[in-house]
Amino acid sequence: MISLFVIVVPAVFAAVLALAGGRRSAAVFFGLGSTLITFVLTWFLPGSAGLSVPWIPGFGVTFTLEPTGAGVVLTLMAALTMIPTVLMAARRVERDPGAFVALLLLMQAGLGGIFLARDLVAFYVFWEITLIPSMLLLGTFGREKRRAAVLKYLVYAIGGSFLMLISILAIKPLSGAASYRFADLMAATHNLPGATQVWLFVGLAIGMSVKLPLWPLHSWLIDFNEQNHPSGAADVAGTLYKVGGFGFFAWAMPLLPVGVERVGPVLLVLAVVTALYGALAAAAQTHMKRLLAYASLSHMGIVGVGIFGLHLAGLNGAIFLLAAQMLSTGAMFLISGMLFERRRSFDLDRYGGLAASAPALAGLSLFVLFTFIGVPGLANFPGEFLSLLGAYQHHPWLAAAATLSVIAAGVYGVNFYQRLYQGEQREATHEIGSIEAFALIPLIAGILWLGLVPATQLDKIQQQSQLIATPSATAQAPAPPVPLTAAVDGVNATAVQALGGSR
Amino acid sequence: MSFPPVIDVHWANFAPEIALLITAAITTLFALFQRDGRSSAWLALVGAVVAGALNVNLFVLHRTSGPGSSFGLRFLADTPGLAFNFVILLGTALAVLISYDYLKRSGLDQPEYYPLILYSATGAMIMAGAGDLITLLLGLEIMSLPVYVLSAWRQGARQSEEAGMKYFLLGAFGSAILVYGAALTYGATGSFVYADIVAALSASGFSAPLLATLGGALVLSGLAFKAAIAPFHQWAPDVYTGAPTSVTTFMSVVVKTAAFAALIRIAATVYPNMEPWLMTTLAVLVGLTLVVGNLAALLQTGVKRMLAYSAVAHAGYLGLAVLAGPAGLRAVVWYVAAYTLMNVGAFAVLMQVSDSNDRGDDLERFAGLGRRRPALAFAMTLFMLSLGGIPPLAGFMGKILVFQAAIASGYVALAVVGILTSVVALVYYFRVITYMYFREPEYEPPQNRSSMAAFAIGVAALGTVLLGLFPGWWYGLMNTSQQFLAKM
Repeated sequence: MISLFVIVVPAVFAAVLALAGGRRSAAVFFGLGSTLITFVLTWFLPGSAGLSVPWIPGFGVTFTLEPTGAGVVLTLMAALTMIPTVLMAARRVERDPGAFVALLLLMQAGLGGIFLARDLVAFYVFWEITLIPSMLLLGTFGREKRRAAVLKYLVYAIGGSFLMLISILAIKPLSGAASYRFADLMAATHNLPGATQVWLFVGLAIGMSVKLPLWPLHSWLIDFNEQNHPSGAADVAGTLYKVGGFGFFAWAMPLLPVGVERVGPVLLVLAVVTALYGALAAAAQTHMKRLLAYASLSHMGIVGVGIFGLHLAGLNGAIFLLAAQMLSTGAMFLISGMLFERRRSFDLDRYGGLAASAPALAGLSLFVLFTFIGVPGLANFPGEFLSLLGAYQHHPWLAAAATLSVIAAGVYGVNFYQRLYQGEQREATHEIGSIEAFALIPLIAGILWLGLVPATQLDKIQQQSQLIATPSATAQAPAPPVPLTAAVDGVNATAVQALGGSR
Repeated sequence: MSFPPVIDVHWANFAPEIALLITAAITTLFALFQRDGRSSAWLALVGAVVAGALNVNLFVLHRTSGPGSSFGLRFLADTPGLAFNFVILLGTALAVLISYDYLKRSGLDQPEYYPLILYSATGAMIMAGAGDLITLLLGLEIMSLPVYVLSAWRQGARQSEEAGMKYFLLGAFGSAILVYGAALTYGATGSFVYADIVAALSASGFSAPLLATLGGALVLSGLAFKAAIAPFHQWAPDVYTGAPTSVTTFMSVVVKTAAFAALIRIAATVYPNMEPWLMTTLAVLVGLTLVVGNLAALLQTGVKRMLAYSAVAHAGYLGLAVLAGPAGLRAVVWYVAAYTLMNVGAFAVLMQVSDSNDRGDDLERFAGLGRRRPALAFAMTLFMLSLGGIPPLAGFMGKILVFQAAIASGYVALAVVGILTSVVALVYYFRVITYMYFREPEYEPPQNRSSMAAFAIGVAALGTVLLGLFPGWWYGLMNTSQQFLAKM
């Protein structure tokens, strides 16, 4: 039942906040209340009982939630990231902060549903619900060119997800599964003929690639981030919307092994292109948010490399990177909002030398930036490393190419910091405020936690990765130990040890 | 052919229709003495509620004791027919609720309006229960004649009169084709009763399959006209736009429900026994409807005309389920219920922002509605999202059901067409939302307020949400309704 509360609590608070009117104090109170309660609840998710009730009887649709595996990790990180995001939104949004926070909370409710649903139709329902608040956030609170950005976002997202819907609707009648529950589908879909699996997988892959996003379906992301509210809070919500990679990992790949086998290599190449393209484009940006958008696109490429490398280590790493990305990219967008509040601009050329008057802000930014570009010992590193390592096992050249994006990350990362904080100081600015510091603390704590003790979360993820890496294992049967586990344990150990050595 | 020895009349099985008819007659007489429409409107509502209660009674009875019928098998009271009756009565009640203040405001308040609505709804219910082609034709005519009059209700306005005339002429033409089809079918099989037609068609050594199928095709054309399936949809946008909006609302939900109730009954029983090209033809028409309806709606700037084309597009989605035959029955019942709620809601909101002469329905009217009238804008958002098929609203579940029915019966390509056109549909539905929330108004449009309409909008919005969140109960009610042709 806890899994249900994780969804219902933010939704109820959102409704209360919408009815309570748009006062700032209400937004702070209900927003923080909801996110804190939800965060505490997510702590009790692992091991709690699931939920499964019929939704459309006679049609095989159930409402099934299961707090297991990767979904729990992502729910936990999303709940953590939501706390400072709601705080910043409630403080910084000029007009109608209540509505803004209510939409953020709705978003969180939808995310909980996406990560915990274990019925394919329920998963799709949450996937689409989450689109509405993110669209309204962009359209109502965004910047001048928001309408074009909304249209682009919608056409990509809806076009993709409707194609995915065809596959979702077809998968049960074609496979003869008893219901849309994961366990029932898993028992039936592996017997589908190869060609059917391929087109079902392609349908799912289009919808998920848009959300991941993979080049060339990525262009909505850049406008989405550029046009969103300058506080950065809406961008964080977008960053938490990790349904693409998670969808592949939790649904498309375990259900359709033959589809993965045949289409996976194409997606792997696209992921490598995404990683490189994102990194190179990020290095060329002068707009802070566009830079962050391209950089996170590059990271999503690495997630794709890990997932489509079809190796246990890479799968673990990819999902871990998704979780770490929530914290690090989230923190980066919040920092961009803090900077905008000081200079009213996202143009990197109009900054410089901020470290002199705001050394603490500079220090924290550097810390987050290090995480963001994958410095060992911090949250992103184990994920990136394992993703690339996993892909390397079967596709060494593609993995090597993708690794170049990590080098480029150093370039745009350092560039970003230098242009903001170093060099000649144009005008003094004020030091980090207490609210801003409070906003960054939970994220930094989370970054350290993921970076220093990755094994706890990796273990949870691995239970689920084995469903893909060993397709013969059915949903119910405990996965047999595979030889790769040893390698992963070794890698995990390396990741932990790297902390001491590198900094 | 099996006529029972004595004409069997089971009054109880058509009690809802009789109740509605009696109320309509009372309301007609009442209108002689009370020229203000308010009491007539309330009388009409009472009639709909009484008919609904009788319908519940019948529904419960026939769910346990099996389907009922009257006049041989010429009038059926089985669970699907009764479920369609619910939807028809719901649409009628909502249409009456949104009408009164609107008519008053527009200077069209004549008490005869309400009995006409009730007569038409009676015809619609007869169509839903029709078990032979003659009953079908009777229902169709009883339903259509009042609507012809209602379409031209705005006397003196050329648009409205043109709508009435156009609808009448084309409607008469459609009925004539239907009669011709019935005649051909009778010629081939020797009966008008569906059960007997099916028996004749499936008997070994049946001699005239082509003639029968031709008859079936002409019946299909006649019904496709009422259902606004392309290419028989040409009248719909003009009539929907020209008629007073309250009448448009009634037409777009009740007439459509009745047409599909009749169509699915024939498509699930008679058509599968005819030559296969008939269903193939229907499949092509459905695909055409999806494309034409959605693309044309995309090009509209007026919201009323956009909703008119959207009604055509939804005929296409319903058609997907009709193709599935018996397996699509529950999907059709479910979809028309969802469609009735969201479509009435959308038209009702439109009536609150447009001028009393029905002009001024352009998107600009919706600019800034999110701030001016947040509740109304929120309701409209729900209706638009639901019409566009966004979960967890009723329209999404309806789409899931019809697409699933089509895919399960092998129409995968058509389902893909349906999904692709749904993406187009979202663009024009979202445009309304975009205007309400993302734009500032350039001028101050009229602010119509009506407590009856507000109540109807509230019911529609609540229904859209609840039906989407808990689709199971309405779907589950249909569970026992596998038996379609009542067997004696």
